[in-house]
Amino acid sequence: MKQHIALKRSRWLLALIVLTTSQLYSQTSGSLDSSILDRLNTLEQQVNYKKPGNDHFMMVGLTTFGFAASKNTNTLNGVGSTSKNNSFPDADNFEFSPMFLWRHGTKFLMEFEPSFNNNGLSVNWADISYFAAPNLIIRAGYLVLPFGTYAKREAAGWIDKLATDPMGIADMTPTDYGVEVEGGLPLGSMKLNYDVALSNGNQLLGDGTLASGNIVDNNNNKTVTARIGWLPFSNSSLELGVSGMFGKVGDMGSPYANAVGNMYAFDLNYVKTFSPVLLNIKAQYNIQNITNENFINPNDSTQSYTFNNHTTAGFVQCSVRPTEANNFLKNFELAGRYTSYNLPGNSTFGTNQHTVTVGLDYWLSWRTVLKATYETYTGNSTASKVLGSYNGLTNTNTFYLQFSIQL
Amino acid sequence: MKQFLSIKKITIALVAVFSIVAVLSINGCAPTKAVAAKSGAQLWAENCQRCHNTPSPASYSAEQWETIGMHMQTRALITEAERKKIVDFLKSSR
Repeated sequence: MKQHIALKRSRWLLALIVLTTSQLYSQTSGSLDSSILDRLNTLEQQVNYKKPGNDHFMMVGLTTFGFAASKNTNTLNGVGSTSKNNSFPDADNFEFSPMFLWRHGTKFLMEFEPSFNNNGLSVNWADISYFAAPNLIIRAGYLVLPFGTYAKREAAGWIDKLATDPMGIADMTPTDYGVEVEGGLPLGSMKLNYDVALSNGNQLLGDGTLASGNIVDNNNNKTVTARIGWLPFSNSSLELGVSGMFGKVGDMGSPYANAVGNMYAFDLNYVKTFSPVLLNIKAQYNIQNITNENFINPNDSTQSYTFNNHTTAGFVQCSVRPTEANNFLKNFELAGRYTSYNLPGNSTFGTNQHTVTVGLDYWLSWRTVLKATYETYTGNSTASKVLGSYNGLTNTNTFYLQFSIQL
Repeated sequence: MKQFLSIKKITIALVAVFSIVAVLSINGCAPTKAVAAKSGAQLWAENCQRCHNTPSPASYSAEQWETIGMHMQTRALITEAERKKIVDFLKSSR
């Protein structure tokens, strides 16, 4: 009987324990679920709060700072003179250019790059792009025209492997107000890219040189600039490009009203690893033809003069960087460049100019570089002796130490 | 006047060339299978170094890479398919 009572008590006790435990478990489980849900809700609110809209703004930019020491020798009419200069920033060696990028969704991109250098405060470009179709971009604003590739792709201090720009190349690539259509196209194992712009155009000045970037057009004619690039290899190692720029350059109603400027450019870019080095060859050749006009003699306004207004500029650059070495050696890059720039003879500014430039770079990161560059310049004046513009033979040797970073 | 006419001819020739390019592309000048199969990493290695050193994926946030990708497409004129693959690679490798 006692055993039966003990068994009964045990059963009751067991039932009580089971009931209590399940109740406790049920309460703990419920409390955990609500805590997790609360946290999830809070996180969702935080994510929603920080979720970006369609507008995205970011600022990048670059700065270049340098030191230049030069020795200049000029020989005119058999008389030589020598001068030595050294300075911190000059036009080639200082630039501070923040770049503002606004993206609206995946269709619109607004780009604005002001720049401060020794020429003062200016704007490199200010435009808006509309990504209209997979390989079709329409742009309007203040544009770097598609003439060659140097100015648009290679001129930035943190990209250029030498401290100086090749003479004449960037100068003959104006920035202008207009509209542009561009894109890249797959073509089997090759690629093509196209870039066409319609802009206000250049302005012929009173000495036969060209000015660009006028916000008020000097005539009713618009200038067409176009470039076609061809990448024949599937690894994109080689790009060949041809460009043209055609338009009237004379002021409307002036004696130069019918003056026309025709410009052509040919460019090449080859980048390939030949173990143990990465080889990079870049080249561009520009030709500028302007119709021959009669200009007012600067020494006698009753007289005029004319000349064959034909200009050429070209460069070839080669650089090598180790790919198989220790991390310290891999950061070095050796570069060399030959540049030729021939301005029209018998003008007030005619010169045949050549530079040989060599440099050793040390890459502190993929976008930070310290450059040591040595450049020899030879300028042989072809300017008019009659106009008193001839200035003999000039030789300049310059050493540059330059630091450039993109952030 | 002759020069002006020659400009017209050159412009017409350019327009003709661009029209041919447009027609070729519209008519399915797609990349070969091998080219289309390239990964974002391979395209990053091949295309970025055409102008500058290959960028570190850690340099920008995922959202910023979208913007940088669009900016680079306007500069290097890579195709849209290449841009998307390169940006996806950079975002996933951060």
